[in-house]
Amino acid sequence: MSLDATLLTRLLQKDVNAFEQLYERHSRLVYGLVLRILHHASTSEEVVQDVFLQLWRNADHYAAARGPFVPWLLTMARNRALDHLRRKSERQRRLEDQTDQLPAVFAAPDYEHTLDEKRRAERVRALMASLAPQQKRAIELAYFEGMSHTEIAAALKEPLGTVKSWIRNGLLRLKEGLQQQAKT
Amino acid sequence: MSNCDQFRDLIEAYALGALDPEERAAFAAHLATGCQDCAKAAEEARWLVSQLAYAAPEAAPSDMLKGRLLQKVHAETGDSESRGGDPPRHNVIPFWMWAAVAALLLFSVYSGWNTYRLDREIREANERAAALRAERQKAEEQLQQQLAIAKREAMIMMDPTSHKISLWGQHAHPETLEAKWHAQLGLCVSGDKVPMPAANHVLQVWFIPKAKDAKPMPSMMVRPDANGRLMFVISNPPEPMDNTKAIAITEEPAGGSPWPTSAPIWTGNVT
Repeated sequence: MSLDATLLTRLLQKDVNAFEQLYERHSRLVYGLVLRILHHASTSEEVVQDVFLQLWRNADHYAAARGPFVPWLLTMARNRALDHLRRKSERQRRLEDQTDQLPAVFAAPDYEHTLDEKRRAERVRALMASLAPQQKRAIELAYFEGMSHTEIAAALKEPLGTVKSWIRNGLLRLKEGLQQQAKT
Repeated sequence: MSNCDQFRDLIEAYALGALDPEERAAFAAHLATGCQDCAKAAEEARWLVSQLAYAAPEAAPSDMLKGRLLQKVHAETGDSESRGGDPPRHNVIPFWMWAAVAALLLFSVYSGWNTYRLDREIREANERAAALRAERQKAEEQLQQQLAIAKREAMIMMDPTSHKISLWGQHAHPETLEAKWHAQLGLCVSGDKVPMPAANHVLQVWFIPKAKDAKPMPSMMVRPDANGRLMFVISNPPEPMDNTKAIAITEEPAGGSPWPTSAPIWTGNVT
Protein backbone atom coordinates (compact mmCIF):
# COMPACT_ATOMS: atom_id res chain seq x y z
CA MET A 1 0.00 0.00 0.00
CA SER A 2 1.41 3.40 -0.96
CA LEU A 3 1.90 6.17 1.60
CA ASP A 4 -0.94 8.17 0.07
CA ALA A 5 -3.24 5.16 0.34
CA THR A 6 -2.29 4.71 4.00
CA LEU A 7 -2.88 8.38 4.72
CA LEU A 8 -6.22 8.27 2.95
CA THR A 9 -7.28 5.33 5.06
CA ARG A 10 -6.45 7.33 8.18
CA LEU A 11 -8.19 10.36 6.68
CA LEU A 12 -11.40 8.37 6.57
CA GLN A 13 -11.08 8.16 10.35
CA LYS A 14 -10.74 11.96 10.49
CA ASP A 15 -7.08 11.81 11.38
CA VAL A 16 -5.89 15.43 11.27
CA ASN A 17 -2.26 14.38 11.24
CA ALA A 18 -2.84 12.31 8.11
CA PHE A 19 -4.57 15.27 6.51
CA GLU A 20 -1.63 17.50 7.33
CA GLN A 21 0.78 15.01 5.79
CA LEU A 22 -1.27 14.81 2.61
CA TYR A 23 -1.28 18.59 2.46
CA GLU A 24 2.49 18.73 2.92
CA ARG A 25 3.01 16.15 0.18
CA HIS A 26 0.74 17.64 -2.48
CA SER A 27 -0.13 21.28 -1.72
CA ARG A 28 2.73 22.68 -3.81
CA LEU A 29 1.70 20.73 -6.89
CA VAL A 30 -1.97 21.63 -6.43
CA TYR A 31 -1.18 25.29 -5.78
CA GLY A 32 1.14 25.50 -8.82
CA LEU A 33 -1.61 24.14 -11.04
CA VAL A 34 -4.31 26.44 -9.66
CA LEU A 35 -2.04 29.47 -9.82
CA ARG A 36 -1.22 28.66 -13.46
CA ILE A 37 -4.94 28.67 -14.22
CA LEU A 38 -5.99 31.70 -12.20
CA HIS A 39 -2.83 33.83 -12.22
CA HIS A 40 -3.84 35.31 -8.86
CA ALA A 41 -2.20 34.21 -5.63
CA SER A 42 -4.90 34.93 -3.05
CA THR A 43 -7.69 33.52 -5.23
CA SER A 44 -5.54 30.47 -5.89
CA GLU A 45 -5.06 29.94 -2.17
CA GLU A 46 -8.82 30.12 -1.70
CA VAL A 47 -9.28 27.42 -4.32
CA VAL A 48 -6.54 25.23 -2.82
CA GLN A 49 -8.17 25.62 0.58
CA ASP A 50 -11.48 24.60 -0.96
CA VAL A 51 -9.90 21.54 -2.60
CA PHE A 52 -8.29 20.27 0.59
CA LEU A 53 -11.39 20.95 2.65
CA GLN A 54 -13.32 18.98 0.09
CA LEU A 55 -10.81 16.19 0.52
CA TRP A 56 -11.17 16.36 4.30
CA ARG A 57 -14.95 16.34 4.22
CA ASN A 58 -15.45 13.89 1.36
CA ALA A 59 -12.51 11.56 1.60
CA ASP A 60 -14.96 8.69 1.50
CA HIS A 61 -15.88 9.76 -2.04
CA TYR A 62 -12.43 8.73 -3.13
CA ALA A 63 -11.78 5.05 -3.40
CA ALA A 64 -8.76 3.21 -4.64
CA ALA A 65 -11.01 1.76 -7.31
CA ARG A 66 -11.19 5.22 -8.84
CA GLY A 67 -7.49 5.09 -9.61
CA PRO A 68 -4.43 6.78 -8.21
CA PHE A 69 -4.96 9.53 -5.69
CA VAL A 70 -2.83 12.37 -7.07
CA PRO A 71 -4.45 12.51 -10.54
CA TRP A 72 -7.81 12.48 -8.79
CA LEU A 73 -6.73 15.37 -6.55
CA LEU A 74 -5.25 17.33 -9.46
CA THR A 75 -8.40 16.90 -11.50
CA MET A 76 -10.50 18.14 -8.62
CA ALA A 77 -8.18 21.16 -8.25
CA ARG A 78 -8.32 21.92 -11.97
CA ASN A 79 -12.09 21.69 -11.98
CA ARG A 80 -12.37 24.05 -9.02
CA ALA A 81 -9.99 26.54 -10.57
CA LEU A 82 -11.83 26.45 -13.89
CA ASP A 83 -15.06 27.02 -11.97
CA HIS A 84 -13.63 30.40 -10.96
CA LEU A 85 -12.83 31.22 -14.54
CA ARG A 86 -16.21 30.06 -15.76
CA ARG A 87 -18.15 32.27 -13.40
CA LYS A 88 -17.73 35.07 -15.92
CA SER A 89 -17.51 32.92 -18.97
CA GLU A 90 -19.65 31.25 -21.57
CA ARG A 91 -17.68 28.08 -20.92
CA GLN A 92 -19.61 27.61 -17.72
CA ARG A 93 -22.48 25.72 -19.27
CA ARG A 94 -20.27 23.56 -21.47
CA LEU A 95 -18.21 22.09 -18.66
CA GLU A 96 -20.80 22.26 -15.95
CA ASP A 97 -21.59 18.56 -15.88
CA GLN A 98 -17.91 17.74 -15.67
CA THR A 99 -16.68 19.96 -12.89
CA ASP A 100 -19.49 20.23 -10.41
CA GLN A 101 -18.92 16.64 -9.48
CA LEU A 102 -15.99 14.94 -7.89
CA PRO A 103 -13.57 13.59 -10.51
CA ALA A 104 -14.54 10.48 -12.41
CA VAL A 105 -12.63 7.20 -12.47
CA PHE A 106 -8.99 7.16 -13.54
CA ALA A 107 -7.23 4.23 -15.08
CA ALA A 108 -3.53 4.57 -14.38
CA PRO A 109 -1.03 2.76 -16.55
CA ASP A 110 1.27 0.19 -14.99
CA TYR A 111 4.14 2.63 -14.85
CA GLU A 112 2.17 5.13 -12.74
CA HIS A 113 3.98 4.14 -9.56
CA THR A 114 7.42 3.98 -11.08
CA LEU A 115 7.72 7.72 -11.64
CA ASP A 116 8.52 9.96 -8.74
CA GLU A 117 7.02 13.44 -8.66
CA LYS A 118 10.17 15.30 -9.55
CA ARG A 119 11.08 13.11 -12.52
CA ARG A 120 7.50 13.15 -13.69
CA ALA A 121 7.40 16.97 -13.66
CA GLU A 122 10.70 17.20 -15.51
CA ARG A 123 9.51 14.71 -18.09
CA VAL A 124 6.15 16.38 -18.69
CA ARG A 125 7.79 19.78 -19.10
CA ALA A 126 10.39 18.39 -21.45
CA LEU A 127 7.74 16.66 -23.54
CA MET A 128 5.60 19.78 -23.69
CA ALA A 129 8.62 21.83 -24.68
CA SER A 130 9.33 19.40 -27.51
CA LEU A 131 5.94 20.09 -29.12
CA ALA A 132 5.51 22.69 -31.84
CA PRO A 133 4.72 26.04 -30.23
CA GLN A 134 1.19 26.22 -31.64
CA GLN A 135 0.48 22.64 -30.62
CA LYS A 136 1.74 23.28 -27.12
CA ARG A 137 -0.29 26.47 -26.97
CA ALA A 138 -3.45 24.65 -28.04
CA ILE A 139 -3.07 22.05 -25.27
CA GLU A 140 -2.34 24.74 -22.69
CA LEU A 141 -5.42 26.71 -23.72
CA ALA A 142 -7.54 23.59 -23.33
CA TYR A 143 -6.05 22.44 -20.04
CA PHE A 144 -5.21 25.67 -18.22
CA GLU A 145 -7.84 27.97 -19.74
CA GLY A 146 -10.64 25.42 -20.15
CA MET A 147 -11.23 26.33 -23.79
CA SER A 148 -13.03 24.11 -26.30
CA HIS A 149 -11.73 23.11 -29.71
CA THR A 150 -13.77 25.83 -31.36
CA GLU A 151 -12.61 28.52 -28.92
CA ILE A 152 -8.99 27.51 -29.38
CA ALA A 153 -9.32 27.56 -33.17
CA ALA A 154 -10.72 31.07 -32.94
CA ALA A 155 -8.04 32.19 -30.50
CA LEU A 156 -5.19 30.81 -32.61
CA LYS A 157 -6.87 31.64 -35.94
CA GLU A 158 -6.34 28.07 -37.12
CA PRO A 159 -8.76 25.56 -38.73
CA LEU A 160 -10.80 23.54 -36.27
CA GLY A 161 -9.53 20.22 -37.64
CA THR A 162 -5.94 21.32 -37.22
CA VAL A 163 -6.53 22.23 -33.61
CA LYS A 164 -8.17 18.88 -32.91
CA SER A 165 -5.21 17.05 -34.44
CA TRP A 166 -2.69 19.12 -32.55
CA ILE A 167 -4.32 18.38 -29.24
CA ARG A 168 -4.85 14.67 -29.80
CA ASN A 169 -1.43 14.06 -31.25
CA GLY A 170 0.21 16.16 -28.56
CA LEU A 171 -1.47 14.16 -25.80
CA LEU A 172 -0.54 10.86 -27.44
CA ARG A 173 3.04 12.03 -27.69
CA LEU A 174 2.97 12.92 -24.02
CA LYS A 175 1.65 9.43 -23.26
CA GLU A 176 4.39 7.79 -25.27
CA GLY A 177 7.04 9.94 -23.65
CA LEU A 178 5.92 8.99 -20.18
CA GLN A 179 5.87 5.34 -21.14
CA GLN A 180 9.41 5.52 -22.47
CA GLN A 181 10.68 7.22 -19.35
CA ALA A 182 9.05 4.57 -17.19
CA LYS A 183 10.92 1.90 -19.12
CA THR A 184 14.25 3.61 -18.59
CA MET B 1 -16.79 0.80 -38.86
CA SER B 2 -17.90 -0.03 -35.33
CA ASN B 3 -19.84 2.40 -33.24
CA CYS B 4 -16.72 3.05 -31.15
CA ASP B 5 -14.57 4.04 -34.10
CA GLN B 6 -16.39 7.31 -34.61
CA PHE B 7 -15.53 8.32 -31.05
CA ARG B 8 -11.94 7.14 -30.93
CA ASP B 9 -10.49 10.50 -31.88
CA LEU B 10 -12.62 12.29 -29.32
CA ILE B 11 -11.55 10.45 -26.20
CA GLU B 12 -8.54 12.57 -25.23
CA ALA B 13 -10.39 15.81 -25.97
CA TYR B 14 -13.32 14.51 -23.91
CA ALA B 15 -11.03 13.92 -20.96
CA LEU B 16 -9.50 17.33 -21.52
CA GLY B 17 -12.93 18.98 -21.57
CA ALA B 18 -12.22 20.48 -25.00
CA LEU B 19 -15.10 18.93 -26.92
CA ASP B 20 -17.81 21.22 -28.14
CA PRO B 21 -21.25 20.57 -26.63
CA GLU B 22 -22.65 18.43 -29.41
CA GLU B 23 -19.65 16.11 -29.57
CA ARG B 24 -19.50 15.89 -25.84
CA ALA B 25 -23.15 14.98 -25.53
CA ALA B 26 -22.78 12.35 -28.25
CA PHE B 27 -19.79 10.70 -26.58
CA ALA B 28 -21.43 10.82 -23.17
CA ALA B 29 -24.47 9.11 -24.64
CA HIS B 30 -22.24 6.44 -26.08
CA LEU B 31 -20.56 5.84 -22.73
CA ALA B 32 -24.01 5.58 -21.19
CA THR B 33 -24.69 2.58 -23.40
CA GLY B 34 -22.09 0.71 -21.32
CA CYS B 35 -19.28 0.50 -23.88
CA GLN B 36 -16.44 -0.98 -21.80
CA ASP B 37 -13.69 -0.25 -24.31
CA CYS B 38 -14.48 3.45 -24.57
CA ALA B 39 -15.01 3.74 -20.81
CA LYS B 40 -11.57 2.26 -20.17
CA ALA B 41 -10.03 4.51 -22.83
CA ALA B 42 -11.67 7.53 -21.20
CA GLU B 43 -10.30 6.53 -17.79
CA GLU B 44 -6.80 6.26 -19.22
CA ALA B 45 -7.21 9.58 -21.01
CA ARG B 46 -8.24 11.25 -17.72
CA TRP B 47 -5.06 10.04 -16.13
CA LEU B 48 -3.03 11.31 -19.10
CA VAL B 49 -4.69 14.72 -18.99
CA SER B 50 -4.06 14.95 -15.27
CA GLN B 51 -0.33 14.71 -15.99
CA LEU B 52 -0.48 18.11 -17.67
CA ALA B 53 -0.64 19.62 -14.19
CA TYR B 54 3.09 18.91 -13.92
CA ALA B 55 3.66 21.38 -16.73
CA ALA B 56 2.59 24.22 -14.44
CA PRO B 57 5.46 26.20 -12.90
CA GLU B 58 6.38 25.22 -9.36
CA ALA B 59 4.86 27.40 -6.68
CA ALA B 60 4.28 27.17 -2.94
CA PRO B 61 1.27 28.46 -1.05
CA SER B 62 1.83 30.66 2.01
CA ASP B 63 2.17 29.23 5.50
CA MET B 64 -1.00 31.13 6.32
CA LEU B 65 -2.99 28.81 4.08
CA LYS B 66 -1.88 25.74 5.97
CA GLY B 67 -2.69 27.48 9.25
CA ARG B 68 -6.17 28.40 8.06
CA LEU B 69 -6.85 24.93 6.74
CA LEU B 70 -5.78 23.18 9.90
CA GLN B 71 -7.79 25.60 12.00
CA LYS B 72 -10.89 24.76 9.99
CA VAL B 73 -10.19 21.04 10.20
CA HIS B 74 -9.64 21.22 13.94
CA ALA B 75 -12.82 23.24 14.30
CA GLU B 76 -14.71 20.53 12.46
CA THR B 77 -13.26 17.75 14.58
CA GLY B 78 -14.05 19.68 17.74
CA ASP B 79 -10.68 19.15 19.36
CA SER B 80 -7.22 20.59 19.04
CA GLU B 81 -5.20 17.42 18.66
CA SER B 82 -5.00 14.86 15.91
CA ARG B 83 -6.48 11.42 16.35
CA GLY B 84 -5.04 7.95 16.03
CA GLY B 85 -2.46 8.09 18.78
CA ASP B 86 0.05 10.12 16.78
CA PRO B 87 2.53 12.27 18.65
CA PRO B 88 1.34 15.81 19.36
CA ARG B 89 1.43 17.81 16.17
CA HIS B 90 3.22 21.09 16.00
CA ASN B 91 1.44 24.36 16.48
CA VAL B 92 -0.91 25.45 13.73
CA ILE B 93 0.33 29.00 13.95
CA PRO B 94 3.71 29.29 12.22
CA PHE B 95 6.75 30.43 14.16
CA TRP B 96 7.11 33.63 12.20
CA MET B 97 3.62 34.63 13.31
CA TRP B 98 4.54 34.15 16.94
CA ALA B 99 7.65 36.21 16.26
CA ALA B 100 5.52 38.89 14.65
CA VAL B 101 3.17 38.93 17.65
CA ALA B 102 6.14 39.17 20.01
CA ALA B 103 7.60 41.99 17.96
CA LEU B 104 4.25 43.73 17.99
CA LEU B 105 4.02 43.41 21.76
CA LEU B 106 7.52 44.76 22.19
CA PHE B 107 6.72 47.60 19.87
CA SER B 108 3.51 48.33 21.82
CA VAL B 109 5.40 48.41 25.12
CA TYR B 110 8.08 50.63 23.60
CA SER B 111 5.43 52.88 22.08
CA GLY B 112 3.62 53.12 25.41
CA TRP B 113 6.78 53.99 27.24
CA ASN B 114 7.76 56.45 24.51
CA THR B 115 4.34 58.07 24.68
CA TYR B 116 4.61 58.41 28.45
CA ARG B 117 8.10 59.89 28.11
CA LEU B 118 6.97 62.32 25.43
CA ASP B 119 3.93 63.32 27.54
CA ARG B 120 6.19 63.98 30.48
CA GLU B 121 8.61 66.01 28.36
CA ILE B 122 5.76 68.00 26.86
CA ARG B 123 4.32 68.64 30.32
CA GLU B 124 7.70 69.78 31.61
CA ALA B 125 8.23 71.97 28.55
CA ASN B 126 4.81 73.52 29.10
CA GLU B 127 5.65 74.17 32.75
CA ARG B 128 8.95 75.77 31.75
CA ALA B 129 7.17 77.88 29.15
CA ALA B 130 4.58 78.96 31.72
CA ALA B 131 7.36 79.90 34.17
CA LEU B 132 9.15 81.87 31.46
CA ARG B 133 5.91 83.63 30.56
CA ALA B 134 5.33 84.56 34.24
CA GLU B 135 8.91 85.74 34.56
CA ARG B 136 8.64 87.80 31.42
CA GLN B 137 5.34 89.26 32.59
CA LYS B 138 6.87 90.15 35.92
CA ALA B 139 9.85 91.76 34.15
CA GLU B 140 7.47 93.70 31.90
CA GLU B 141 5.50 94.87 34.91
CA GLN B 142 8.71 95.98 36.61
CA LEU B 143 9.78 97.72 33.44
CA GLN B 144 6.41 99.41 33.18
CA GLN B 145 6.71 100.48 36.79
CA GLN B 146 10.21 101.81 36.20
CA LEU B 147 9.02 103.60 33.08
CA ALA B 148 6.15 105.13 35.04
CA ILE B 149 8.56 106.30 37.76
CA ALA B 150 11.01 107.64 35.18
CA LYS B 151 8.16 109.41 33.46
CA ARG B 152 7.00 110.88 36.76
CA GLU B 153 10.61 111.89 37.57
CA ALA B 154 10.91 113.63 34.22
CA MET B 155 7.60 115.41 34.65
CA ILE B 156 8.50 116.55 38.15
CA MET B 157 11.94 117.73 37.05
CA MET B 158 10.68 119.49 33.92
CA ASP B 159 7.56 121.04 35.29
CA PRO B 160 8.17 124.77 36.03
CA THR B 161 5.76 124.68 38.95
CA SER B 162 7.97 122.15 40.77
CA HIS B 163 9.70 123.66 43.82
CA LYS B 164 13.46 123.20 43.84
CA ILE B 165 15.09 122.05 47.05
CA SER B 166 18.80 121.57 47.68
CA LEU B 167 19.72 118.90 50.19
CA TRP B 168 23.06 119.93 51.59
CA GLY B 169 25.50 117.35 52.72
CA GLN B 170 26.45 117.46 56.38
CA HIS B 171 29.73 116.44 57.90
CA ALA B 172 32.00 114.73 55.40
CA HIS B 173 29.46 114.59 52.61
CA PRO B 174 29.64 117.79 50.67
CA GLU B 175 27.83 116.44 47.62
CA THR B 176 24.52 118.14 47.34
CA LEU B 177 21.38 116.25 46.34
CA GLU B 178 18.92 118.02 44.12
CA ALA B 179 15.20 117.67 44.81
CA LYS B 180 12.06 119.01 43.21
CA TRP B 181 8.63 118.85 44.79
CA HIS B 182 5.51 119.03 42.67
CA ALA B 183 2.32 119.60 44.58
CA GLN B 184 0.46 116.87 42.71
CA LEU B 185 3.18 114.55 41.32
CA GLY B 186 5.31 114.24 44.45
CA LEU B 187 8.94 114.69 45.45
CA CYS B 188 11.86 113.66 43.20
CA VAL B 189 15.40 113.43 44.60
CA SER B 190 18.59 112.81 42.62
CA GLY B 191 22.33 112.96 43.20
CA ASP B 192 25.73 111.45 42.34
CA LYS B 193 28.68 110.18 44.35
CA VAL B 194 26.34 109.16 47.13
CA PRO B 195 28.20 107.04 49.67
CA MET B 196 26.87 103.55 50.14
CA PRO B 197 25.30 103.03 53.59
CA ALA B 198 26.81 100.43 55.89
CA ALA B 199 25.81 96.79 55.56
CA ASN B 200 22.24 96.14 56.67
CA HIS B 201 21.56 99.88 56.59
CA VAL B 202 19.52 102.09 54.31
CA LEU B 203 19.05 105.78 53.66
CA GLN B 204 15.69 106.97 55.00
CA VAL B 205 13.90 110.18 54.05
CA TRP B 206 12.23 112.33 56.71
CA PHE B 207 9.73 115.15 56.35
CA ILE B 208 10.09 117.80 59.08
CA PRO B 209 6.69 119.43 59.73
CA LYS B 210 6.38 123.15 60.36
CA ALA B 211 4.25 122.59 63.43
CA LYS B 212 6.03 123.21 66.65
CA ASP B 213 7.09 120.08 68.50
CA ALA B 214 5.91 117.92 65.60
CA LYS B 215 8.03 114.82 65.09
CA PRO B 216 9.80 114.03 61.79
CA MET B 217 7.58 111.95 59.52
CA PRO B 218 9.37 108.79 58.23
CA SER B 219 9.23 108.14 54.50
CA MET B 220 10.98 106.16 51.79
CA MET B 221 14.06 103.99 52.32
CA VAL B 222 16.55 103.89 49.47
CA ARG B 223 20.08 102.81 48.50
CA PRO B 224 22.26 104.28 45.75
CA ASP B 225 23.26 102.08 42.84
CA ALA B 226 26.76 100.62 42.45
CA ASN B 227 27.92 103.84 40.76
CA GLY B 228 26.75 105.97 43.66
CA ARG B 229 23.79 107.24 41.66
CA LEU B 230 20.67 107.97 43.65
CA MET B 231 17.31 108.86 42.21
CA PHE B 232 13.85 108.26 43.60
CA VAL B 233 10.32 109.62 43.63
CA ILE B 234 8.02 109.87 46.60
CA SER B 235 4.62 110.03 44.99
CA ASN B 236 2.66 110.58 48.19
CA PRO B 237 4.72 112.49 50.75
CA PRO B 238 3.39 112.11 54.33
CA GLU B 239 2.98 115.86 54.63
CA PRO B 240 1.87 118.46 52.08
CA MET B 241 4.56 120.81 50.90
CA ASP B 242 2.95 123.78 52.67
CA ASN B 243 3.11 121.99 56.02
CA THR B 244 6.69 120.84 55.59
CA LYS B 245 9.58 122.87 56.87
CA ALA B 246 12.47 120.71 55.72
CA ILE B 247 13.54 117.35 54.34
CA ALA B 248 16.29 115.21 55.88
CA ILE B 249 17.96 111.93 55.07
CA THR B 250 19.52 109.70 57.71
CA GLU B 251 21.17 106.29 57.71
CA GLU B 252 18.97 103.76 59.46
CA PRO B 253 19.00 100.01 60.02
CA ALA B 254 17.54 97.93 57.16
CA GLY B 255 13.76 98.06 57.30
CA GLY B 256 13.77 101.68 58.44
CA SER B 257 12.91 103.31 61.69
CA PRO B 258 9.85 105.17 63.04
CA TRP B 259 12.13 107.97 64.22
CA PRO B 260 15.65 109.08 63.35
CA THR B 261 18.36 107.17 65.13
CA SER B 262 21.28 109.08 63.68
CA ALA B 263 22.15 112.59 62.68
CA PRO B 264 20.98 113.70 59.22
CA ILE B 265 23.41 113.18 56.34
CA TRP B 266 21.53 115.60 54.09
CA THR B 267 19.07 118.35 54.98
CA GLY B 268 17.26 120.93 52.92
CA ASN B 269 14.71 123.63 53.66
CA VAL B 270 11.50 123.43 51.74
CA THR B 271 10.59 127.08 51.98
